[in-house]
Amino acid sequence: MSLIKETFSQISPSEFFYRNRDLAGFSNPTRSLYTSVREFVENALDACDQKKILPDIHLSIKAVDPEQPDPKSYILSVKDNGPGIESKHVPLAFGTVLYGSKFGLKQARGMFGLGATMAILYGQITTNKPVTVRSCADGKTQDEFVMLLDIQKNKPIIQKHTTKEASKTGLSVSIVLEGDYSKAGTKIRDYVSQTSLITPYASITFEDPSGEKFHFPRIVKEMPPPPTIIKPHPHGIDVETIRRMIVDTHYQIPIVDNNMITKVRSELGLQKKNLNSKGILERAQKKWSGLSRSVRTIIAIMSFLNLDFDGLGKIRIDDLDIANKKLSYWNFGESKSHVIELDPESPYYKQLANTVQGDTLHSFLTKRFQRVGPTTADKFCEFAKLKPEKRIGSMTNEELVRLADALQKFEEFLSPDPSCLAPLGEEPLSKGIMKFFNPEFAAVIQRSASAYSGFPFIIEMGIAYGGDIPSAGLKVYRFANRIPLLYDEGSDVVLKVINEMDWSRYKVKGDPPLVIASHICSTRIPYKTVGKENVADRPEIERELKNALQFLARKLTVHMSRQGMADMAKKRANLYSKYIPLIAQFVTELSGNKKEPNYKQLIKKGSEIEEQQI
Amino acid sequence: MKLKNSKSKATKTAEARKEKLLSILKNQGLTIYNDLEIGTFPQFSIPSRSVSNIVYDKKLRQYILGNSSAVRSARNMSQLRSYTQLAWLAFFVNRLVKEGKSSTLRDIYYSSQAFTIDFEDQPESDNIIVDLEALLSFPREDFHIFPEERSSVFGDLTIEYTVPGYEGKRVNLSDHPDGYLIGPSLSSAELVDTSAELVIAIEKGGLFTRFVEEKVHKKFKAIIVDTAGQAPRSTRGLLKRLNREMGLPVVILADGDVYGEHIAMVIKSGSANAAHLRELTVPDAKWLGVWATDIEKYKLPTIPMTESDIKRIYDLQKDPRYQEGNWKTQLEVFLKLKRKAELEAFSKYGLTNITDKYLPEKLELSKSL
Repeated sequence: MSLIKETFSQISPSEFFYRNRDLAGFSNPTRSLYTSVREFVENALDACDQKKILPDIHLSIKAVDPEQPDPKSYILSVKDNGPGIESKHVPLAFGTVLYGSKFGLKQARGMFGLGATMAILYGQITTNKPVTVRSCADGKTQDEFVMLLDIQKNKPIIQKHTTKEASKTGLSVSIVLEGDYSKAGTKIRDYVSQTSLITPYASITFEDPSGEKFHFPRIVKEMPPPPTIIKPHPHGIDVETIRRMIVDTHYQIPIVDNNMITKVRSELGLQKKNLNSKGILERAQKKWSGLSRSVRTIIAIMSFLNLDFDGLGKIRIDDLDIANKKLSYWNFGESKSHVIELDPESPYYKQLANTVQGDTLHSFLTKRFQRVGPTTADKFCEFAKLKPEKRIGSMTNEELVRLADALQKFEEFLSPDPSCLAPLGEEPLSKGIMKFFNPEFAAVIQRSASAYSGFPFIIEMGIAYGGDIPSAGLKVYRFANRIPLLYDEGSDVVLKVINEMDWSRYKVKGDPPLVIASHICSTRIPYKTVGKENVADRPEIERELKNALQFLARKLTVHMSRQGMADMAKKRANLYSKYIPLIAQFVTELSGNKKEPNYKQLIKKGSEIEEQQI
Repeated sequence: MKLKNSKSKATKTAEARKEKLLSILKNQGLTIYNDLEIGTFPQFSIPSRSVSNIVYDKKLRQYILGNSSAVRSARNMSQLRSYTQLAWLAFFVNRLVKEGKSSTLRDIYYSSQAFTIDFEDQPESDNIIVDLEALLSFPREDFHIFPEERSSVFGDLTIEYTVPGYEGKRVNLSDHPDGYLIGPSLSSAELVDTSAELVIAIEKGGLFTRFVEEKVHKKFKAIIVDTAGQAPRSTRGLLKRLNREMGLPVVILADGDVYGEHIAMVIKSGSANAAHLRELTVPDAKWLGVWATDIEKYKLPTIPMTESDIKRIYDLQKDPRYQEGNWKTQLEVFLKLKRKAELEAFSKYGLTNITDKYLPEKLELSKSL
């Protein structure tokens, strides 16, 4: 019998992304250049949105050596007027993977802020050049960091850090990466122009490698209301998410360090006074109701170990095993580990047990989810066959699965709260469309919020016809969370709905000068692929899209028939005065006359006939 | 060798015809001019070309239009546009004829745009041309308007051009082995002289070439005409003139199917589409084949008929011209066989079989028809 030894090794998130860069849209120089532009521009817009700053974005792409053929090295820079990032966060934000501030549940363009780091990583592995980040968060000083990413260790290597005076907040990121602008250029220009359509409150400037500048000025001055961060809806939850929620719900045993001791002292009013263990407990009893949870936990531990503040400074709590009623700790003074029994009768036992086991299921449901009140929570517990007073920290795996399952199946939860969504709004969308296409007719609609699997979403759609739009058939602009979707349109749900529409019923035929802009806002867009370019066809989304489209198509029909009637009346009104002179012209030559006949009388008769008919 | 009448007489006839057309056009113009002047809405009265007004005239042996006619008035709002189109066409044709210029159906459609006459498509302008033909009782060839498609003619026939720039120039149509296109110049040329004693109209270009190669024109003293499928009107006009002016009998060779039979019939007695015209038929033309009965007689390779072939037989059986004689018989046999044979089927027995054997036999037979 032989022993086969398997070795497992951990890889850092950076390394993971490095190995799987295709997934994130960095599969080739063309796509990578486009994706990098997208990530930086979206981060910039998100940053401005969050602080209600009207965005001013400058994007530039320059070839390192313009003489070289594509693919080659490009310098990509994106500068914004957003809030900037505090100096101390910059290295982590741009030099590590999975460091982000976007983990809350609300609508944002990017989910976790991973893309930007991916772009930096991609630039580094293709050109071995550092990223340059300039940030000013206080409007006074600007920090410039030049740094590389240590892929194995997932941490930044700062090559240079300088500061200088600045007058405005903002962030600018500049990377060198291998790209193919000759191929990606069209998409990048489309991306920038479509972004300006769906972000009419932003001013965007793009300077391409040839030095040509594309400027998209701000069309509206008001920003749509920003989304708020909200709790998740029970329908949008799986076992893994519950597990994660439980971990940060049940209060960890606080780390006993100097800060904590100072906190305990201050809450007990013993900043300067030392008491023995008994005295401290007496004092705590008096002030119990005003103590914070972490301080209560520390007091409970002090009671079991008979500690005063000095003693507290010498230990570290290692484990609290409620099932076996044992507490183990490390004593720095003795350099020795101790285990003591806990007395379940002690009033402090419950404090510790509750701390470790977390909330009851009932309060977990009402506190951590939206749309769950005490009554709904009771009904739910009955439905799930789980006790409401059960501590969630003590739930077995099996019970957790049952909980997750029941959360999905329980039908009495109200539909998700859409306040976490930030649709653009009918007026800005309409203004954007008017300015962008200068159509003869336009209509917009914002549907009321709806939800799919616990995620709220809102459909906004606009239609534009005629005017400056070329008669080249229907063109569809797709947006999701204010991001233009440019690739893989064939399989997108929006296209599906539009193509299934019987346009002939709406007086639209041939290759009409028609544009449709569709915007899906959701806390989670159901993308089909990691590349985030096409939206999957969820029935709820499909239905909303269809309703929006039909509403707009009907508006268009009304316009078309009005237009048609106006055209017809116009045609009729001019019929005799158009044709009689022509006939006169022809017969003059035909009859061999020199002078045209006097046909005024006939035209008068003609207009009389017209008046009768109209 | 037959000598055609003197040139001056022929020219006179052509001139007279032209003058007649121009005077009719002028009269139309004057009438409308006066109407406009006195404040009356002008109108055209056009013989109706609806199915109910197309009747077969046994005496003339062709389809003609009946007595009903339709008024197109400038007063009527929905007719004003097409009235103007017709007035424009009369005006434009007047120019063409006066200046001796030629045009095509397609060219008319495009020319209209220069006068802000908006035809929606070519079929609309084609239709107005037919209206003018019916109104004036002249075929469009007299308007110098020709179709785009052209068929060819080959054989010992001397013609003299009357088109501007070529007046008096003579050409013998056996000088070029590919044959001569039957276009406006040839249609308007005088037929001067021929040694031929027969005109063979053949449906297909391929066999036309074969006939030239096999010197059919010499062996049978024939002028060969390629009709390129259903004979265009210019071709039928030429056949008519060869028959009437040169006194040559016309025989027709077409595929052994219902369409071939009808090609022969149209040359002989016209189509319903051209019921308003009288100059395009050769009532004495003879259909040589390929008959349905030839298929068995000559053991020709065949292919099965399609649904639409069979439907076409039933349609033609309702046509008054197919009610008797060989025309009726052959349709019945086709329907019985439900198979058809192409002219090329004779190749099975050698490339020259059709000219060596079939044609002489059928020509002999035709004398008794």
